[in-house]
Amino acid sequence: MNKIEIKQDLSQIKLTETVGNIYADDAKMSIRHANVFYGKKQAIDNVSLDLAKNQVTALIGPSGCGKSTFLRCLNRMNDTIDMCRVTGQFMLDTQDIHAKSLDPVLLRARVGMVFQKPNPFPKSIYDNVAYGPRIHGLTNSKTELDEIVETSLQKAGLFNEVKDRLNDSGTGLSGGQQQRLCIARTIAVSPEVILMDEPASALDPIATAIIEELIDELKEKYTIAIVTHSMQQAARVSQHTAYFHMGKLVEMGKTEYIFTRPSHKLTENYITGRFG
Amino acid sequence: MTTQDNNENISGFTTRLHLDKHISRRFNEELEKVRTLVMAMGDIVEQQVNDGLSAVLNADETLAAKVIERDKKVNDMELAIDEYCTQILARRQPAASDLRLLVSVIKSITDLERMGDEAVKFGKNAIKLAKGNFAEEEGARPLVELRHLGKHVSETLNRALTAYAQMDVEAALNIIKDDNVIDEEFDNISRLLVTKMMENPREIKNSLRVTWCARALERIGEHTTNLCEYTVYLVEGKDVRHITPEQVNVKMKS
Repeated sequence: MNKIEIKQDLSQIKLTETVGNIYADDAKMSIRHANVFYGKKQAIDNVSLDLAKNQVTALIGPSGCGKSTFLRCLNRMNDTIDMCRVTGQFMLDTQDIHAKSLDPVLLRARVGMVFQKPNPFPKSIYDNVAYGPRIHGLTNSKTELDEIVETSLQKAGLFNEVKDRLNDSGTGLSGGQQQRLCIARTIAVSPEVILMDEPASALDPIATAIIEELIDELKEKYTIAIVTHSMQQAARVSQHTAYFHMGKLVEMGKTEYIFTRPSHKLTENYITGRFG
Repeated sequence: MTTQDNNENISGFTTRLHLDKHISRRFNEELEKVRTLVMAMGDIVEQQVNDGLSAVLNADETLAAKVIERDKKVNDMELAIDEYCTQILARRQPAASDLRLLVSVIKSITDLERMGDEAVKFGKNAIKLAKGNFAEEEGARPLVELRHLGKHVSETLNRALTAYAQMDVEAALNIIKDDNVIDEEFDNISRLLVTKMMENPREIKNSLRVTWCARALERIGEHTTNLCEYTVYLVEGKDVRHITPEQVNVKMKS
């Protein structure tokens, strides 16, 4: 066996193939050959991966690597951008979510999203959570709606803090509470997948820890994909990690491997804070 | 390993681990310092083992006393490196090869410190053996065997430290595979000493002292193997402890 050279000539690394394992035994979503173009610029280049059911998949990578763009494809948020063109196959179970016949509004009830900045509606805490079930007609009675609001807030770990002021405005809560309110609002419509785009980057360490703890609980019921700039966060909350670089999926694998012995030099450089 | 060798190894170790490529220059310096400290500790421990052995073989009480005294320095280095690594873990939350470097260092220094303790045993036994004039009477033959085993262990330690400094996985694996050679030599020397004890019960005390020295060498051999296992882990991220040579081969190819 030859001496191992960790050093590689970066210019010679081919990015056409993802290193590691993109497949999940039990995939909730399967994406194959995804390409995204903003006008002429290609933001995502031939990305294929699975989101394992009831597990957390972290998407990491430097700014502009395409991880958020990719996440937004998973519930067709890119539809709203005129110059954006998406190709490839995006399967949610057996459903192609980019099929023309599929109503994106219904899709977004199945694949919910939580954003970086908490964005509660300027309504009461109750109405924030009740909004989704109401527009989707998920309930027939006030009692049922009350129940959904309560269990959603409970699942989001917020109920005990707000139970006496459900009619107060959602925007009056602290940042961490607002984010949990947004999570409650997302889960109120019983989604199957929850997408999180840097859900804790605007929060302090305590609120972050609460959100991370929540993510860990939520995965029992939901499949989760999270975009994060915090490598430690990805290492803490996820079971699978995908590393994006310049629109390509460089490496994907179990989180325990990615953070102790990544296979690709670019992954190694990124998670250890090296140039490259 | 001499300091000169050490300096020559710096570049290999640093470039292979890319210790100079972090965005944070301070982090580069911190990891570089850890590396330098461990290499320095390795140098001292190697010297302790060689001096301790030489004190036993040459019945040199002065050198023996020096070895016993110098062990404090080894202990202090273990504490200092431990503390330094803890600081880096807390402040930098290292990942991948940086994490493996720190984990391998934290484990290596425990083995190095234990080797230092074994060297102290040489020192203590050397003083007693020197007082008993063992070398001149019954001890000639056992001490020749001990010298032979000692030479082998000392060379292996030197190779292991060099392999660590140069991140040479192949060399480290070869040392791991050769571990049974030391065990066999230790068995031989034990058998010889048991015979000596039966032949001349008056020399049992001294024969036991030589046995303990041989035992110390065998332990140093085991710690040396551990160092090599950490080297493999550091470079390859593969854990080759507690498995057979065949399993090691399979694991290295996977």
